[in-house]
Amino acid sequence: MIEIKKTYKNYVGGKYIRSESGKTFTLNLKNDSFEVPLTSKKDIRDAVTSSKAGFAKWSEISPYTKTQILYRLSEMIEGHKDSYIDLLVLGGSTKNQAKKDVETAIENIVWYAGLADKWEQVSGNLNPVNGEYFNISHQNPIGVVFSLNSDSNSLTSLLNSIIQPLTVGCSVISFSEESSIIALKFAEDINNSDFPPGSLNILSGQFEKIFEDVSKHVEINLVSICKIIPNEILKKIQENASSSVKRIINMPSEDGISSILPFLETKTVWHPKGT
Amino acid sequence: MVNWEYSESVESQDIVKIKDKYQNFVDGNFQQPNSKKYINTISPSTEEVLSKIVISNEKDVNNAIKSAQMGFEKWSKTSPHERSKYLFKLARLIQERSREFAVLESMDGGKPIKESRDFDLPQVAANFFYFAGWADKIDLSWGAKSLKPHGVVGQIIPWNFPLLMLSWKIAPALATGNTVVLKPAETTSLTALLFAELCEQAGIPDGVVNIITGDGTTGSLLVNHKDINKIAFTGSTQVGKSIQKSLAGRDVGLTLELGGKAANIIYEDAAIDQAVEGVVNGIFFNQGHVCCAGSRLLLQESIHDEFVAKLEKRMQTLRVGNPLDKNTDIGAINSKEQLDKIEGLVNEGVSDGGKIFQTECELPGNGFWFKPTLFTDVQPSYSIAREEIFGPVLTTLTFRTPQEAIEIANNTEYGLSAGVWTEKGSKILWTADRLQAGVVWANTFNKFDPASPFGGYKESGFGREGGRQGLLSYLKAES
Repeated sequence: MIEIKKTYKNYVGGKYIRSESGKTFTLNLKNDSFEVPLTSKKDIRDAVTSSKAGFAKWSEISPYTKTQILYRLSEMIEGHKDSYIDLLVLGGSTKNQAKKDVETAIENIVWYAGLADKWEQVSGNLNPVNGEYFNISHQNPIGVVFSLNSDSNSLTSLLNSIIQPLTVGCSVISFSEESSIIALKFAEDINNSDFPPGSLNILSGQFEKIFEDVSKHVEINLVSICKIIPNEILKKIQENASSSVKRIINMPSEDGISSILPFLETKTVWHPKGT
Repeated sequence: MVNWEYSESVESQDIVKIKDKYQNFVDGNFQQPNSKKYINTISPSTEEVLSKIVISNEKDVNNAIKSAQMGFEKWSKTSPHERSKYLFKLARLIQERSREFAVLESMDGGKPIKESRDFDLPQVAANFFYFAGWADKIDLSWGAKSLKPHGVVGQIIPWNFPLLMLSWKIAPALATGNTVVLKPAETTSLTALLFAELCEQAGIPDGVVNIITGDGTTGSLLVNHKDINKIAFTGSTQVGKSIQKSLAGRDVGLTLELGGKAANIIYEDAAIDQAVEGVVNGIFFNQGHVCCAGSRLLLQESIHDEFVAKLEKRMQTLRVGNPLDKNTDIGAINSKEQLDKIEGLVNEGVSDGGKIFQTECELPGNGFWFKPTLFTDVQPSYSIAREEIFGPVLTTLTFRTPQEAIEIANNTEYGLSAGVWTEKGSKILWTADRLQAGVVWANTFNKFDPASPFGGYKESGFGREGGRQGLLSYLKAES
């Protein structure tokens, strides 16, 4: 019997779509190969439009509900554990490595799910100003985040490149190259976890073809690079970013509270006290 | 009619001794610079030459950075508790010589003595006190042991709050264990150089604080120096962007505190008289040379006419003149260059079709002055409604609903500060949540405190100064 092979597509605005260019590229895994979308500049612009709308919805959702949606994501992955393991094995992992990787990813999601309704208590505070004023610093999510995933054949790596901005209420455009299959597969569980459309968009392609547009796009508020890239490309990205004071994070921390700080803007509110 | 004119009450300049010419402060003492290029630093209220400062060249920058590197070795070995005590000592010395600093600040920068004396200097001392206490408590600040100083920090500060900006930069940098090379603005270097004397007096180890004077060329040498570990800049968005670009591809930390065009939103249910005071303070404080100035007045349509009438009446009482006169509300514009910029934008506002109101007052013959100015009948597309004027010029826009107010307020590439005035608590919180601004003043404006983080969203920069969050600007996570 002939094998029925799944077609992997980009995931934008809560829909599975092909690149508007119609182009794909061949992803040669260790034990298989797939045709995946070759994201175009126009696809990036569409993803940003979708992410802006997604940000408006996702950032308005209460922390309590965010916790439940993130926890729901861990439940979804748990339910599809075997299919992730199979894909990781196609990519060259041993069965044990693959199992451990998926389990770590699930553990990480649960940790961040529990942080969604607490981080403001850790990163914000009252300020003891000299005078009769109520003064509080708290944080807002920075907005639309573009995140470049590493090439690791790993669900945990993918997770670690998106979960921190997502937890604090940013919308994320996740872009993968060699590790695209696992990302595009992951989109299915995002789709089933009650995330508002556009809050997390998943794209595959070649970064060198789109990095100029990403770094120049004024509606992307932050670019997070979770992959070691050539210094001349990093330099070009940072130069382009300066025209709109865009934030660029190279190899963000994955450690505790430090991991969410780059995705936050501190807002301080003053009000006089009096009768 | 009763004559309400005040008699002059001019603060004496005797307390200040200004040298004919200044050297750089490097490696713990004033050193002959390599550069032979000196410029005059003048009083913007009289145009009198006060002194000469050097435009530091590449060799001078090299020396300062080398000194800061050697300083870092010592400062790293100084215990956090000792570092704390050095900062406490500086804070006390500032308090003790506060009047001297205040008079010099007003002479060199043009700001009214009542502001330099009652605002700038107390805030400067408070900054050193606040960060002194953090120096030996960094491990408590974010519960992370991996936070380490950057090393040698280059700091470039503007001319609007010369000594206060120095304190915002130097106090947290030293508390977190960094050493600094600070470049004050070329029009207002004198209080920074007097501060250098204080460092000598306090016995700060050599090389920990280095102060070099110069203009943009010196700043650029500092930014592009291979041995700099971090740059902290306060100034225009345009220069901030060029610094960000210069640092591309280099492993150098960066925080930017840039321009603003803050909305000051007045709802119809605000306490109008209080709001008028707040609006006046929001834009005319420090001649409007304030990055977070409330320069866009957003009035709910129903109160527009009443509010503008009261505002114009209040503006008319503002006293413009000699910065050293204790009665002066508005001092001199900091430089001819800045005055030209303000005049250019105001002329544009008039030719665009804005209705202009300026107070009736006599301006001194010498020096740089601008009358308090209010624009009404302004379209959001006018440059006076979009560009940072950095002068005593207020632009009025109107709105009908809270949603519309938020839309107008956020419709700018800037995001430094904003104001909201209403007697309704829930409306304050609703509005504050939606404003894209690093500081929101509710029923007040232009309040500052070392414990209160300051800094912008969007093109107003990144990083915070002040508060627990301000420590992060001078620490990096080390794995």
